[in-house]
Amino acid sequence: MSENEISLVALFEKSTDTAKAIDDLHTLGIPDDRMVVMTDVPYPEQALGRTREWSSLPYIVLAGAIVGLLIGLFLSAITPHLYRLDVGGHPPVGFPPAAVITFVFTMMAIIVSTFLGVLWEMDFPSFGPAPYHKAVTDGQLAILIEFSPDLDDKVNQVLKANQADYIGEPEMISL
Amino acid sequence: MSESEVLAYPEDSSAAEFEDRLLLAERTSSEINQAVLQPMFRTSWKFWALVIFLSLLVLWGLFAWGYLIYWGMGTAGINRPVYWGFFIATFVFWVGISHAGTMISAVLRLLKADWRRPITRGAEAMTAFALMMAGLFPFIHLGRVWKFYWMLPYPNNRLMWPNFQSPLMWDMVAIFTYFIGSTLYLYLALIPDLAMARDHTGKWRQKLYRVLSLGWRGTEAEWHKLHRALSIFSVAIIPIFLSVHSIVSWDFAVTIQPRWHSTIFAPYFVVGAIYSGLAALACILVIVRKGMQLQEFLRSEHFDALGKLVLVAGMAWVYFWFAGFIVEWYGNEPVTRELIHEEVAGSLAPLFYLQMSANLIPIVMLIFKKVRTTPWLLLVATLLVNVGMFTERVLIVVGNLQRNFMPFNWGEYSPTWVEVSIVVMTFAGFALLYTIFSRIFPYVPVWEIKEGRLRYTVRRIGRLLVPTAAEIE
Repeated sequence: MSENEISLVALFEKSTDTAKAIDDLHTLGIPDDRMVVMTDVPYPEQALGRTREWSSLPYIVLAGAIVGLLIGLFLSAITPHLYRLDVGGHPPVGFPPAAVITFVFTMMAIIVSTFLGVLWEMDFPSFGPAPYHKAVTDGQLAILIEFSPDLDDKVNQVLKANQADYIGEPEMISL
Repeated sequence: MSESEVLAYPEDSSAAEFEDRLLLAERTSSEINQAVLQPMFRTSWKFWALVIFLSLLVLWGLFAWGYLIYWGMGTAGINRPVYWGFFIATFVFWVGISHAGTMISAVLRLLKADWRRPITRGAEAMTAFALMMAGLFPFIHLGRVWKFYWMLPYPNNRLMWPNFQSPLMWDMVAIFTYFIGSTLYLYLALIPDLAMARDHTGKWRQKLYRVLSLGWRGTEAEWHKLHRALSIFSVAIIPIFLSVHSIVSWDFAVTIQPRWHSTIFAPYFVVGAIYSGLAALACILVIVRKGMQLQEFLRSEHFDALGKLVLVAGMAWVYFWFAGFIVEWYGNEPVTRELIHEEVAGSLAPLFYLQMSANLIPIVMLIFKKVRTTPWLLLVATLLVNVGMFTERVLIVVGNLQRNFMPFNWGEYSPTWVEVSIVVMTFAGFALLYTIFSRIFPYVPVWEIKEGRLRYTVRRIGRLLVPTAAEIE
C-alpha cells in the first residue's frame, strides 16, 4: 500500500451483500488485487465475484513425486548392488520389493510436498501484525480495501448501500 | 453468512421440523463456535480421575517395558516356534484401527458425503494415535531397542545396509509414511478451527492456538489453497492406507507358514482393518458424545450412517474370511488341517468361537436401525466387533505359529505379565492421548459444519418438505 492510500475494513452479514459490494467497488475502479475478502467458511470460487487465483501447488506436488520416485528407486534398485545381500535365492534387486519401496517413497514425497507446498503458497507461518477482524470467525464476511483518497466518499457510500454492519480502519492484529 | 441465507424455510413450515438435522439446525456462526469450544473447557473431577487412571496404566506399562529391556526378551512368552506373540498381534490390531480415519475423512470427502462433517476430526485423531501405538511395537518387539537405528539406510562402519527385500523394512517405511500423512492431514484441516479458537480464548490456549494456526485469516486465497491441498491429500492417502495393511499382511503371507501363505491375505487384512477401525470409531464417538455433551453435533443421523458402513465392512470381512477358509479346508493339507482342527475343536476353540461370535453377532444387530441409532446399543455392537477383531489378530499370529511343517518343532504360547502390561499400556495410552486431544483441540470441525450449512436448504416437493443440497464445492 502506498502512503497516500486509505485502508478500510467492512463487515457484512450476508454473502449476497458482500458480492454486490465487491461488484460496486469494481465499478469504482478498485481492482481485485486491492481487496481481500475474509470469511469463516470456504465460499465456492467466484461466488463473491472474484477472479480465480492461479496455484502452483499441483506442480510442486508433481516435483515432489518425481523426487520421491527417484529416492525410492535409488534405495530399492541401486543400493542393494552396493551392499549385496542374497536372500532366499532371489536376485539382489527384484521387481516386487522395488515396486513396493518405490511406491511408498513416492507417496511419502507427495504428502510432504503437498504440505510444504501449501504452506509456502499461503506464506505460512506468518505471525506478524496483519489487518484482521475477529468478527470473521463469528460468521461476518470482511472486505479489506485499499484505495486512493479521492474515492473515500464513494467507497463509504457503496459499503453503506450494501448493508455493511461496520466500516472502519483495519486493526493490525498480531496473528 | 447469516441464518437467513442458509435456511430458506417455506413460510408455512416450522424450523423445528428440521432441527434434528445438524446442517439445518438454526444456530448462528458464533453459537456454533461456542458450542464446540465450551466442552473443551469443562473438566470435571471425572475427567481428571480418568486421566490419572489412564496415566497409572501407562506408567505400569512403561515399567514392564523397562523390565523387558533390562532382563531381555526371555521375560516375554515368545519362544520357539511362536516368535511373534501378543506384541505383533496388537501391532496388527492398532494398524487396523488406524484405517477408519482415512476411510471417513478422505473417501467420504471425495464422495462429498455430508454426514462425515462432524466426525472427521475424531476419525483423523484416532488414526494418528492408533498409529503411534502401533509404531511402539516394532521397538518393543526388537528387545534391544537402542539398536533401532540399524534399520536406517546410511553408510556406516558396520558395512550393513537395510534389506529392502524384507517386508519388515517395507512395514517400517509404509507405517512411517501413513503416520506422516495422517498427522499432516489432521493438522491441515485443523488450521481454520485453530484460528477460530485463537480468536475466542485467552491465556495459554490463545498462545498455543496462535502458534499452531500459523497466521490464518480466512482469506479467499487461503481457503482456496487449503481446499486444493486437502483434495490432493484425500486422493494420495487412499492408496497409502490400502498399501499399509497390505504390507502388514505380507509380513505373514510371504513366509511359507501354513495358513499365512495366502494370496488373499492383503485384501482380507484391509477389509478387517476397515471393519475394526469403523467399529472403534463408532465406540469412541458414542463415548466422546456422552463425555463432552456433544449431542448437538453427533446425532442419530451420523450413527445411523456409520453403523451402515460398519455393517457393510462386516459383511465384506465375512466374505473374505470364508473365501480364505474354504480353500484351506478343501486343500486338506496335513499341517493346515491340524491348524484348522486346533481352531474349531482344539485348544484354540474358545478363541475361535469368541472371534466368530463377536464378529458375526454385531452384523445381525446392525441390520436394525434401532441399534444403529441408539448410542448404547451401537456401543455394545461395536465393542463386540473390536473384541472379535483383536481375537482374530491373536489367532492369526499366535495360533498359526504353533504348528508348522516340522512336527518336532510344534509348541504352545501363553503371554506373560510383561506382555499383557505392555499391551494394556497401549490401550491406556491411546485413550489418554485421545482424552487430552479432545480437551485441547476443537473436536468437531467447525468450518466443515459451517460449510455444509451453506449447501443445505429445505424445498417443497409436492406435499413434502425435504432437505436438499446444492452443488457448490
